[in-house]
Amino acid sequence: MDLLRTDWFGLLVAFLAGATALALTQPTFLSTFNIYVMLTAFSLSVLVALSQMVILAIGQLNLSVGAIGGLAAIAFAGTMEVWGLPIPLAMLIGVLIGIGCGALNGAVTHLTGLNAFVVTLATLSIFKGITIGITEAQPFYGIPDAVKAFGNARIGFFPYLLFVSGALLLGMLVFMRRAKLGRQLLAVGGNRSAAELSGIHIGKVVIAAHIISGTLAAVAGMLAVARLQLGQPTIGDDWLIESFAAPVIGGAVLAGGHVSVVGTVLGVAIITLINNALVLLNVDPFAVQLLLGALILAAVALSRFRDPP
Amino acid sequence: MSTNVAEGRARSGPSFSFLASNEAGLFLITVLFIVFFAYVTPGFTSPFNIYALTRVLAIDAVIGFSMMVVLVTGGLNLAVGAIGVCAVMIGGWAMQVAGLPIPIAALLAMVAGAAFGVVNGVLTVVMRVHSFVVTLATMSLFFGAMIVVTEAQAFNALPKAFVDLAKLKTYYFASSMLYVSFGVGVLLWLFFHHTLLGRQILAAGANPAAARLSGVPVEKTIVVCHAMSGGLAALAGLMLTARNGAALPSMAGQLGIDWLLPAFLAPVLGGTLLTGGTISVVGTFLGAALVTVLSGGLLQLKVGEFWVQAFLGIILLVAVALDRLRAHVIEKRRIR
Amino acid sequence: MTDKLVITGASKAFPGVKALDDVGLTLKAGSIHALLGENGAGKSTLIKIITGVHRPDAGTVTLDGAPVVFHNPREAIAAGIAAVHQERNLIPRFSVAENIVLERLPGQGGLVDYRAVRADAKRAMAPLGLSLDPDTPVRNLSVAHMQLVEIAKALSLDARLLVLDEPTASITPHETDTLFTLLRGLRDKGVAILFVSHKLDEVFALCDTVTVLRDGKNACPSRPLDALSYGDVVRLMIGRDAQAVRRTERTISGSPVLALKGVSTALGHRNISFSVRAGEILGLYGLVGAGRTELAKSILGVARVTAGGVEVDGKAVNIMSVVEALGTHRIGYVSEDRKHEGLVLMHSVRRNVAVTVWRRLARALGWLPDAAERDTVMPFIERLKVRTPSLAQPVSLLSGGNQQKVSVAKWLAAEVRILIIDEPTVGIDIQTKAYLHELIHELAAAGTAVILISSDMPEMIALADKIVVMAEFEVVGELPNTHDAAGMGEAIMACIHKVEAA
Repeated sequence: MDLLRTDWFGLLVAFLAGATALALTQPTFLSTFNIYVMLTAFSLSVLVALSQMVILAIGQLNLSVGAIGGLAAIAFAGTMEVWGLPIPLAMLIGVLIGIGCGALNGAVTHLTGLNAFVVTLATLSIFKGITIGITEAQPFYGIPDAVKAFGNARIGFFPYLLFVSGALLLGMLVFMRRAKLGRQLLAVGGNRSAAELSGIHIGKVVIAAHIISGTLAAVAGMLAVARLQLGQPTIGDDWLIESFAAPVIGGAVLAGGHVSVVGTVLGVAIITLINNALVLLNVDPFAVQLLLGALILAAVALSRFRDPP
Repeated sequence: MSTNVAEGRARSGPSFSFLASNEAGLFLITVLFIVFFAYVTPGFTSPFNIYALTRVLAIDAVIGFSMMVVLVTGGLNLAVGAIGVCAVMIGGWAMQVAGLPIPIAALLAMVAGAAFGVVNGVLTVVMRVHSFVVTLATMSLFFGAMIVVTEAQAFNALPKAFVDLAKLKTYYFASSMLYVSFGVGVLLWLFFHHTLLGRQILAAGANPAAARLSGVPVEKTIVVCHAMSGGLAALAGLMLTARNGAALPSMAGQLGIDWLLPAFLAPVLGGTLLTGGTISVVGTFLGAALVTVLSGGLLQLKVGEFWVQAFLGIILLVAVALDRLRAHVIEKRRIR
Repeated sequence: MTDKLVITGASKAFPGVKALDDVGLTLKAGSIHALLGENGAGKSTLIKIITGVHRPDAGTVTLDGAPVVFHNPREAIAAGIAAVHQERNLIPRFSVAENIVLERLPGQGGLVDYRAVRADAKRAMAPLGLSLDPDTPVRNLSVAHMQLVEIAKALSLDARLLVLDEPTASITPHETDTLFTLLRGLRDKGVAILFVSHKLDEVFALCDTVTVLRDGKNACPSRPLDALSYGDVVRLMIGRDAQAVRRTERTISGSPVLALKGVSTALGHRNISFSVRAGEILGLYGLVGAGRTELAKSILGVARVTAGGVEVDGKAVNIMSVVEALGTHRIGYVSEDRKHEGLVLMHSVRRNVAVTVWRRLARALGWLPDAAERDTVMPFIERLKVRTPSLAQPVSLLSGGNQQKVSVAKWLAAEVRILIIDEPTVGIDIQTKAYLHELIHELAAAGTAVILISSDMPEMIALADKIVVMAEFEVVGELPNTHDAAGMGEAIMACIHKVEAA
């Protein structure tokens, strides 16, 4: 019975049931290429979800995940096309942008004591505005072949992109479970004043969480460039719902103090599966919006039922 | 008589404290910007520009009101844009396909908007979660359903009489749609300051626990506020539709997200707190005015449309930080 | 013995209150020092200054002979100060073990070594005789166990200065004995201990020296305790010999207005029975966590009654909401927690008082004229002598005492027949306290049935006609009040101890 109380067991059953049903009815579902397509989508989405999850852990939220991803993406693509920077240097700039944007979010929320919602709403439009201001809404097409090749490369059904996401995912798993900073993050989210009285440096923890969030979003943005083969300024525009959906489905408590990396990953897997099912079944792709909304509501209702306040 | 209330002061008439208020400051800043833009860009005060700006202002003010009435509960409504679009598509269908008279179709759209709002309110109350997550889910739900049902097709053969409503001018160059915003503003002011339910909403928004223990039906106030928000979002959508000349599924961007910044900017600049319990109708209107003047002026300055958004983000950040600072200073002065 | 901690001239103000005013305290190494005072006297503020939560507006703190300024709790911990605060300070979803060692999670390279965490935690719990599974999430523990975990956490820091704010509020006498033996051992090793408790017998059993605070000022700075009697300490705390309440003649009419018959609630009360008549003041006494406030909320319909019956005027009722309790049965509740449940701090005096009468004043279409509101509110503000520049003043700008008057005024305006008053005099000045006591008498004299919830024994004995004693969500005794302070106090404590021992 303890399994039923975990964040992940129900999700795993739901995922396996859905996958089995699709495998039995849709012959193309288990084809190597279809699995590759799903894993590629998963690689991006999981970073977006983890980026939001870290902030949910401290009891805040981050509306600017997509805007940070977009800004890092066009910086990555733009510095390579316009300045001809080598790939590693462009990647470094992308990551630094993620760190900088995150540090700004964290520092402003902590120093002013303002609600993270309004702060990240403001930075969302600042980052997004800079992105389209620089690009004038035109994509960067001059992406080096090596980046394009990486975006398409695969071993069988396994996309190279997943090496990057997988490594970060494992890192986050260890971080949230075992790292001191990870535990301090959850302590701050669980009971802020208790954490403070226990000598935890609240400001440091809040800013660190936002930096991690910004970095993950930036990496997701750069992977999106590799996958799309161009520096599209609209990268990140549609991440908002997804970024919340997966952690919430995965059992994250919005008030803070509890998130589940495994649950979030399964949340992403389920969303990826739904997306794929809609494609295979030839359903209007916009129906996924409808389903995502319903899924968030169901997840919240379920967590209320399982874990009353 | 041993009362400590200075009778005269308790009943005294208007004071001059409004000069130090948020509204007065906002008004002053807005006027300064108008003067500045009028001086540096000749096109700013052209009748056409004023007409265009007042039209934007009329719509943005209603969008701001739509968010304001939920902020007062200490909640928020991410689905304003989605509800606005959904309601307008229903209104557009009613006018173009069902051929209903314009007032009936508009009323239908607003009732539909209010109904979407009721869904938000009831879910918030029943699930006892913050309206953030509820409206995040419903914005996706409503918008997705709308696209699936309409197949992303616009209603672009609306009755001419409806489209012409947006073209009316007052005093030759101000959009007549401002009357709608004024009317809504006055009604909201009367409602929040002089009716039973309005005051109950303010009390419940400021401190739900205390309000509940004093016999205020807190849950009811939340549902009412979300319903009003939905209705106002629908109204803003109708005004925008009249201006565009068509009911467009894309008029508020993907998931209606393009409305979020104006929706938050106006009330937050106007001094409505995100924590609930306060409201400023005049402030929200002035907030919308400042945003309209700034974006209009920047465009006239050829700053480039794309940078305006970044600039508005900075304005929002500075505004909330200043407000925080002001609260801090007031607190310090109180201790002494 | 050397001076471990010396505080001189400490002052601290918050909006509306001067919490500390020129307070001094000297704490010697190797001693247990009692910090006493009524609720709101400034003890918690003083503790928060010592532990780095607040900084004093004026005054100096000297630790081991050197002046220190703590900017945050981290610096205080680093200086060897450990504390058990009054508020629950545990991370609910973390395990017992992780909570105990949260300050110094063991491990290498930024990673936590959970085997060491468990071992450390067990080592910290052993002296308290606590044998909890270190992996249990704290939120699954009983209140008593949570308190013991907090104590274990503070002790495990091996601090040279230990601050304990009401550490025994919810643990059993046996657990208290274990704790005291431990504290004496620490004292003998040279640790300085600051001990705060409401229970005077504990203070006299444990402590060497005492500092008493009254209204944010020193009533006595750091004196040896053996030179003082119980009576002396009480006098220092309340500033006079006994609670001299002017009594109004009252008639307590025949049948009960409100009666509880074997009530159990969703919050965990079992088999609660008592009744109160018009003009009567019924006292509900109990320790923190005895379930009194929760009972009040169950009567109001905020929480559900699951068994037994509530009767108003002899008729069985099923109250589902406060709207119904107030509107239909005219029951009011003055909350113990003024800031969070009693008042809408950011709103004006007028609106705070009028909230209970809006429904009555509303005209057609819900129209609520300002004039009607003002005319209804004004008499009560005058009657209660609320000190405010105008009715438009935000309540947050009033002093604690005046806030409490506003919190009471709204129920007077509502003209309730049954009034539940929860800890009415916590954190307010002596004059207002005396005034509120008179007011409670007046209300009863005018025929209101009053239920008074209080942890302040002298207040209870001075005001109540009969006292119902609660412990662990049950009624453990009902005593008629003889108004004999010593005798009543003993009788009440006997009821509580009887249950704890069982």
